[in-house]
Amino acid sequence: MTSIATSRPLEAPLSDEDVRQFLFLEARLQDEHEYDAWEALWDDEALYWVPAGSDDADPATQVSYVYDNRARIASRIRQLNTGRRHSQAPASRMRRVISNIEIERKANSVIRTCSNFMLVEARRGQMTLWAGRTIMELSAASGATKIRMKKVLLVNNDQPLSNMAFLI
Amino acid sequence: MLNVAANTVARTNFNALIEADRIHGSLYTNPAIFAQEMDTLYSKGWVYVAHESEVPKPGDFCTRLIGQQSVIVSRDKDGSVHILYNRCPHRGSVVCQLETGNRPNFSCPYHGWAFNLRGDLIGVPYQNGYDESFDMSRSGMAKVPRIASRGGFIFASLEAQGKSLDQHLGNATELIDMLVGLSPEGKLDLRAGWMKHRMKANWKMVIENQVDGYHAPMVHSSLLRANKTFATVRDRRDSSPTRVRDLGLGHLDIYHTTDYRDKGTLFRWTGGIEESRMSRYVDAMKQAYGEKEARLRLIDGPPHAVLFPNISLAEMNIMVIQPISVDETIQYTTPVILVGGEELNERTLRRCEGALGPAGFLIADDAEISELTYRGLLDRQPEWLILKRGIGQEEVSADGIRTAGLMDETTQRGFWHHYRDVMSSSH
Repeated sequence: MTSIATSRPLEAPLSDEDVRQFLFLEARLQDEHEYDAWEALWDDEALYWVPAGSDDADPATQVSYVYDNRARIASRIRQLNTGRRHSQAPASRMRRVISNIEIERKANSVIRTCSNFMLVEARRGQMTLWAGRTIMELSAASGATKIRMKKVLLVNNDQPLSNMAFLI
Repeated sequence: MLNVAANTVARTNFNALIEADRIHGSLYTNPAIFAQEMDTLYSKGWVYVAHESEVPKPGDFCTRLIGQQSVIVSRDKDGSVHILYNRCPHRGSVVCQLETGNRPNFSCPYHGWAFNLRGDLIGVPYQNGYDESFDMSRSGMAKVPRIASRGGFIFASLEAQGKSLDQHLGNATELIDMLVGLSPEGKLDLRAGWMKHRMKANWKMVIENQVDGYHAPMVHSSLLRANKTFATVRDRRDSSPTRVRDLGLGHLDIYHTTDYRDKGTLFRWTGGIEESRMSRYVDAMKQAYGEKEARLRLIDGPPHAVLFPNISLAEMNIMVIQPISVDETIQYTTPVILVGGEELNERTLRRCEGALGPAGFLIADDAEISELTYRGLLDRQPEWLILKRGIGQEEVSADGIRTAGLMDETTQRGFWHHYRDVMSSSH
């Protein structure tokens, strides 16, 4: 689609610019509904998490909007890939901007990123603005860079949300 | 008392809009009808408000809506529950802006009038400016006049007089008891938080859909293809032993019990978890209810029901359907946490967020259809919606429960016929 081919191998050691490019790639795959390519970014052990109610709700006792382990991420993608997920048929048209990227290097080749996003979703004549902060943990231990955790803190996670069947 | 209607609207003739097997599309889209619903169903009848587990300790409170009226549900020092209109009697400001919390009393942000947990006025700043004509004992927050609960579910009516909660619930009391009876202690805990889901749809579509046994193969075809457990754990065919039931008084369910008892295994309602993984919970149930009764409860599982007008006991989830306006509804969803069912509870939590809410594998698609239905109904032709499925094949029991096949529209007819009765009566 409207992309620059990412021929650059995202292998360790990653520079800060490599990390930023990885975040932009992940965002673009979501915006463009490149479901399989997006799923391929995930590690074998993974958590995709959108808390509800507050940013620090305890997932052991508190319900989240999304709390997908790796198997459930796969299930989410299988469902979208049927093309019959009504809430994404037609699919939302989306573009998101990622900014304020902070990069922190942890032990064992784990990179933690914090960034802000604004996402405009256009669907059925409506423009919906989504915004929040994304915390990611990337692992480069096995060679290729993978997401092992993505937590999306919506600014309105304590407010009613309209359908969010796309990848946030 | 001044008799000022909140909404001054012409009275609709609901008998002309609701027939035995069809309803008029304007019931979903006419703002004047919405206003009458707020004045009748949500002002005179019983409405679900909160669960006792949400306000367990003295000083605990949560804020809710009854129809369009904002209220505070508070737990008093003596353990009693009060529901107060969230409006300062002085100059009208919202008193409490928090959704939940614990307070010894409430105070208004405007002039600092303070109220105890039952809404009595206990202090005003600079009180020396008031003379003896100011009666503090008559200047408290307004209380919702009637509160009653069953199984911890607190219902309220804004009308001082009327039928009792038991009379309102009728046969549906057994549905609450069925859910509560899955806890070996007979107690639920609804403090896992709420998913809040906004839909551009009329509230009645949202609640009717909870007990529509016909739509699943179409609306949820993507999940049926993507998820084997969802596709196989229960019989979803037209020939399924599962029934739909109109229990009377607008209370409705999809009665899975017939299907589950056919198979006779425990925990199909959890997505088919192995009994061996729930051994402590099973033991606790046997201790509480005896071997035979415990097994039966764990075969049958929770209800899949709607209690008229605003709550769905949606298996191991509670869904509160909150009308906002004629074209906007918020669906609040929380998992049912069983006191004494710890082995099951985290699974219940994960299943709730997987299936329900704005990103859920099921409900996002139901929300989409509700929105499409609302949009479709703005087109004025054809005027009538057809609710004929299974109309000639219903069985009616001695206690008035009307039963039909999984995909039959008995539940929709039951909803609308009760709605017509209530909306037509002058109370």
